[in-house]
Parts: sequence; C-alpha cells; structure tokens
Amino acid sequence: MRIVFCGVGALGSTAAVLCRGLGAELAFVDFDRVESKNLAAQAFVKASLGRNKAEALKLQLASFYGLKSEAFPVKLVDDNVDALCGRADLAVDCFDNAASRGVLQAWARRNGRPLVHAAIAADGTFGLVRWSERFVPDVEDAAGQATCEAGEHLPMIGTLAGTLARVIQDFVEHGTRRSAVVSLRAVTPTD
Amino acid sequence: MRLILNVTLSGVSADHTVEFDAEPRDEDVKRLAVELVRSGDIPGLHVAGLSDRAFDDYVVDRFDTPEGGRRLFLRPKVPFGGEPSAASR
Repeated sequence: MRIVFCGVGALGSTAAVLCRGLGAELAFVDFDRVESKNLAAQAFVKASLGRNKAEALKLQLASFYGLKSEAFPVKLVDDNVDALCGRADLAVDCFDNAASRGVLQAWARRNGRPLVHAAIAADGTFGLVRWSERFVPDVEDAAGQATCEAGEHLPMIGTLAGTLARVIQDFVEHGTRRSAVVSLRAVTPTD
Repeated sequence: MRLILNVTLSGVSADHTVEFDAEPRDEDVKRLAVELVRSGDIPGLHVAGLSDRAFDDYVVDRFDTPEGGRRLFLRPKVPFGGEPSAASR
C-alpha cells in the first residue's frame, strides 16, 4: 500500500507521523520550506528549519523512527500529478488552497483513485475529513488568509490530524471509507 | 420533506430535524439556522442576539443518507490544510 500525502503543513505532517506504524509506503509532496513559525503548529523540529517540508519530514521519520519514505519537493500541478501520484493506492489531500486541491481531485477522478481530504477553518474551530466523492474545495476568503500560525490551534490540528490518520488506518486495514466533522467539542462521523 | 440539519457555530456542532415542502435553497437554510440558534431550538447552540448575517460566508453540504434520508451541513469554509504556504500568500 502506497500512500501519498499532498501538502505536509500542519495537518499533513502531523497525520503522516501518526501513520508511521501502518506498514505502508509513505510519500510526501510539498514545495514549501520549513520556517520558524511552522514549528508552533507543524510536526517539524528546529533542526529542519530551512529544509523543504517533504524532505524534512522524510529525514525526521528516518532519524526518529527508522522509517523509510519518499519526498518530492515540488509543487503539484496538472503536468506532474500523474508522475507524483501515479503509483498511489491512496492519495491524501492536506493542501492549503482550492487550486491544488482541484488538481488532485481531478486526477483522482480521471484515474479512479481513492482520495481523502482534510481541511480546517481559518479560525481553527472546525474541520472535516471527507472522501473525494463528496468533497468540494472551499476557496479562501482572501488570498493569504492567515490561520494557525501561532500554534493556538494546535490541539484542534492534533484532533483533526488524528481523525484523518484513523480514517487512513481504516482504509488500509479494512478498505472502509469513513468521513467525519471535527468541532471543538466532538468528532462526529458523517456516514 | 424531513431533513436533518447540522449547524456548526463557534466550534460547536449539533443536529436539528426540520421540515421543508421542497429542497431548500442555501439562503433558506441559512435564514432558518439563524432563527433556530436565536430561539435555542438546537441543543448547545443558543445565541439570542445572533446577527442576521452570521452564516453569510458558510457552506451548505447536502448528502443522501444510507437510510434514504437527507442530511444538510451548514458549516464554516475549510480552505486550509493548516497553514497557508507561500503559494497562497
């Protein structure tokens, strides 16, 4: 089972770490670099500052847990999505923008591949994990709208990433496709 | 038709069963939700002075349930994977 995490910011990096025991082949796609502010809300450590996020996550999993994984330090676009995700048995969307989510979703639909999305509101009070058949990407209210930068939403990010990791685990082990909404008070299955 | 409407406000989500003559438009769902929250009819969600525009930027998701029913989710937008990257700035 090969799982490709597309976007390894707050949700993607945290969920990937929680998936380390699945026995699956993990791969990460992200063009962005680790900045100091990321340490407050993402799974990166100080030694990873300045590294590409996909590469940093690969190195951290190797050095902390002895886990091998693959990193693709590029932006996912129409021209490379097949090369990056073509061998995926499961794609996981943790992107932070509707355009990238749309590219991945279109690819998954064209090729009949399983794709699960995780997404969080700007104020950190609500999030969801939803399979692609029922997912429509939301557009940011404004380009560059800030969220989660100070780490104040870290518990919510942890809850949502944990929910995503459990949904991935259920898919890997049983083939089931569960979805959920996550609020500050509860994780509620939606199917 | 009977629908289950799930409303999320300030990090709290709750269900409420509602009756409509036909599939409601998004605007109708949002207007009804404002009234339900103001009146306290949705468990755990009671804001007497809720603004008329409280749900203007919200999204309405519509799903058929495995039991043959209809379920609506009135929820905040969820554009992010955790933190906006340089590409979205």
